[in-house]
Amino acid sequence: MTNLPNVLNLKPNRLLAELNAIRAIVIKQWLHTVRYPTWVLQLLIWPLIFPAAYILTARAFAGPEQIALPVFNAATGTDNYIGYIVIGTLIWMWQNIVLWNVGLSLREEQLRGTLESNWLTPVWRFSLLIGSILVQTVTIFFFIAVTFLEYRFLFQIHFQGNIGLVILAFAVAFPSIYGIGITFASLVLRIKEANSLVHFVRGFVMIFCGITFPISVLPGWMKSVSQWLPQTYVIRAIREITLVGADFNMVKQDLLILLGFGFIWMVIGYFAFTFMDRLSRRSGSIGQY
Amino acid sequence: MNNNAIEAIQLVKQFKQKKSKKAEFDKKRGFFQKKAAQPIFTAVDGIDLVIHRGEVFGLLGPNGAGKSTTIRMLCTLLEPTSGTAFVNGFEIRKQPTQVRQSLGTLLAGERSIYWKLTGRENLMYFAALYHIPTRVAKQRVEELLKLMELTDRADEMVEKYSTGMKQRIAISKALVAKPPILLFDEPTLGLDPQAARNVRDLILKLKSEGHTILLTTHYMEEADLLSDRIGIIDKGKIIALGTPEQLKEQIQQKEVIHLEISGWFEQLEHVIKEIPGIDHLIVKEGENSSLQNISLQTVNSRAAIPLLIDKVNVNGTHLVNMNILKPSLEDVFINLTGKALRD
Ligand SMILES: Nc1ncnc2c1ncn2[C@@H]1O[C@H](COP(=O)(O)OP(=O)(O)OP(=O)(O)O)[C@@H](O)[C@H]1O
Ligand SMILES: [Mg+2]
Repeated sequence: MTNLPNVLNLKPNRLLAELNAIRAIVIKQWLHTVRYPTWVLQLLIWPLIFPAAYILTARAFAGPEQIALPVFNAATGTDNYIGYIVIGTLIWMWQNIVLWNVGLSLREEQLRGTLESNWLTPVWRFSLLIGSILVQTVTIFFFIAVTFLEYRFLFQIHFQGNIGLVILAFAVAFPSIYGIGITFASLVLRIKEANSLVHFVRGFVMIFCGITFPISVLPGWMKSVSQWLPQTYVIRAIREITLVGADFNMVKQDLLILLGFGFIWMVIGYFAFTFMDRLSRRSGSIGQY
Repeated sequence: MNNNAIEAIQLVKQFKQKKSKKAEFDKKRGFFQKKAAQPIFTAVDGIDLVIHRGEVFGLLGPNGAGKSTTIRMLCTLLEPTSGTAFVNGFEIRKQPTQVRQSLGTLLAGERSIYWKLTGRENLMYFAALYHIPTRVAKQRVEELLKLMELTDRADEMVEKYSTGMKQRIAISKALVAKPPILLFDEPTLGLDPQAARNVRDLILKLKSEGHTILLTTHYMEEADLLSDRIGIIDKGKIIALGTPEQLKEQIQQKEVIHLEISGWFEQLEHVIKEIPGIDHLIVKEGENSSLQNISLQTVNSRAAIPLLIDKVNVNGTHLVNMNILKPSLEDVFINLTGKALRD
């Protein structure tokens, strides 16, 4: 028999210990973010140049004296096509960043060879993703702030509307955007073609969610696809709030739908994760890359 | 509940093999045809094993024998296809969390820790994942850094460490929760001789502290030196089990002759094999191209040697060196499988 003093005999409160583990995961993730600092530049550049391409195209198509604007207004209810595009592309970039950061966080650990080390501990495996999401949320908060500030000062775009309502809209979209990220994170552990999968998902969002145009211009069957994508609703709601000055009652329905999608995507994400975990224990694919 | 540190019962792991190019082609052609059954490969083939508390058990076998697969099942990274195992009394399928709490696992390769974190950050991180309160963890991490003689370098990023230092952090990671049972998969693989010696000393020290250790290796000197008992594994089966002495006794009546021959040519192998009283001839991959090392076993070297010299010293071939040795574990392995441990 061994007479080792076992730290585990201290029987720490399981929940507190798990929260402490999540804290450690956040710190680790944060240290990695800071120590690969290319993201700082990306954080400043992408909010500017990605929408700019669409904005300049739109300006060209609008013709001299912007004579096409009334047509745009009739379809969207606003003249502010720059703001319209910025909101659409912002949500797209949010989903894109979540796919890259949260969605690839486990895959990155797998490539580094550290995923198994984490899996060897008694930590709740889902905590690893929760940690990524928490760190990611901080980055995205900056990203959104940078976007609004850059367009305010460089393009003189004024966003109106209730800031609290804008935050609420982002918050109710959160579970959907991250649920998709979690589902994605689980899938790429098996389907190792992460890059093409990212391009597929974000291309889908780009076409079906109207990031630079109103859904009404889509052909009928594409419109019905749009209805099933949560990004469609968050883009629409935030546009209405910031460009038309909609109040809570006007966007209530969109926000409720978003909550519903959020619930569904979180459940899908959780099951995709558990399923992937079980599958890889059978095939031994966790350690392979 | 049983009181063994580890008990494996008819443990089996089969992998579906990746479809070959041809199979994929066939599938494309015959869309409506029944899918051909995926070929199945048995990596671990019904292992029964009992490891007692406080024991160092060495799993010795060639590449692909199933050592890592066995370790991966015990530490719950892999689910057995059939059979089961108990670790610290917990069943690996039904109580994976308790199993993980009982184990410190070192997997092969230095990539198991974060290179962009410092040594200390790594250990604090894994301590938290093992649910150790921060206060206790701090103290534990200092202890480990001291034990590993890494205190001075603890705040440097791991990417700046030598391979040996990385391995010491990886081992510390396995020790951070003071688990009673340790699984070390090839703990000295890729280390320079000095670092490897340090790791072996450490393993002996951990044993003296009361840890149970299951280690895998394909170096027999290492298995011989460290293990109380050894299981020799080949093609997923344990083909011999016992203390190093017991295993060597199995072929004690035999002698092992190592030869160095210059001017070697392939047919000579058959010529030597014909000599009565000689078996288990192994032609080793020589580092020196002009000299060929071979080893063989015989029950009576006095009768065999004159014949050997006669047969070898022909047509410009010369016997340039010869040693008669007591059987080593490697020879046990050769005796059992007819092949060398390191091909
Ligand atoms: N996840 C997997 N999928 C398919 N085959 C696998 C998988 N893991 C291992 N194998 C196969 O199982 C066999 C045993 O592998 P294992 O890693 O257990 O050998 P080992 O004894 O550890 O060898 P080594 O000394 O090379 O580390 C090998 O032939 C290997 O190719
Ligand atoms: Mg191995």
